[in-house]
Amino acid sequence: MSLKGKIALVTGGSRGIGRAISLKLASEGADIIINFFRKRSTAEATAQEVQAKGVKAFLIKANVGEPEEVDRMFTEITEKFGRLDILVNNAASGVARAALDLDTRGWDWTMNINARAFLLCAQKAAKLMVNGGNMVSISSLGSRLVLPIYTAVGVSKAALEALTRYLAIELAPKKIQVNGIAAGAVETEALKLYTADPNLPKPAWQTTPAGRMVLPEDIANLVAFLCSEESTMIRGQIIVIDGGATMSPVSSPELKTDKE
Amino acid sequence: MPASVEETVKEIAAKILHKDVDFSAVNNFKDLGADSLDIVQIMVKVEDTYNIEMVDEEMQGLANIKDFIAYIERKIAEKK
Repeated sequence: MSLKGKIALVTGGSRGIGRAISLKLASEGADIIINFFRKRSTAEATAQEVQAKGVKAFLIKANVGEPEEVDRMFTEITEKFGRLDILVNNAASGVARAALDLDTRGWDWTMNINARAFLLCAQKAAKLMVNGGNMVSISSLGSRLVLPIYTAVGVSKAALEALTRYLAIELAPKKIQVNGIAAGAVETEALKLYTADPNLPKPAWQTTPAGRMVLPEDIANLVAFLCSEESTMIRGQIIVIDGGATMSPVSSPELKTDKE
Repeated sequence: MPASVEETVKEIAAKILHKDVDFSAVNNFKDLGADSLDIVQIMVKVEDTYNIEMVDEEMQGLANIKDFIAYIERKIAEKK
């Protein structure tokens, strides 16, 4: 599975899951364009880690929720590289409120960054994928499960997943493969923002039938596979990575059959 | 002479909140009607303007707009 010579854009690619994706694709040989929004020093650190794998790293600061900034980002990519092979729509944000407390700004902010950004980036990226390419959207189980104060993000992820399916079919004739990944709770800094709330069911998130939480590297490995030739017949799918956490409504060790 | 940090922050806040702001009459951004998204946008604009990075953990200790401005001035000084 080699991505040697490919050019990949990872939105929100400097921290958390995005960082793991940047590093994994780099270790498979792809040059990485890391989009980030706020922390340049963190982005520079990730860029150095990417370069240490013997590939190029290029930083672009942009809020993908703003169409003008997405335009500027792709103008830079076009000028610098002239083409693109991989788009990983990973950047995410969100207003953590219950449905009845959500206002239009919080809704728009979340939808624009989590769902609309993929549309805008995919439109631009498709033009740069002259020899075909791969797109992967990073979703969340909040698209189908109800989690406290996750309303806006969950709805935006549902939109992102539907968009993933539409793009998969529309872009298939252009030899562009599009899939998504819906992860359970992943051990990142962002998760701490949610688990800081004492009302959340913390213990349930800290384990899975597989025995540990999902790590950013688990997502990154699947992204690399979905960008590889080996996965070419997988189209428009949202693949769940949760260590089996949502397979059963009963989270009891009694379900295991290894008892003598 | 370049505008003071306070003047610049006031301009940024006015643009994001779509109204004239008077820091002397209020204690913090919430008093100006800003919500958490406004405050993030103000922070991002300040960071871009001065090419500084504001650290969330450090920001949590800031009680009011005066502290916020002093913090920005400190970050600008650190950069030099």
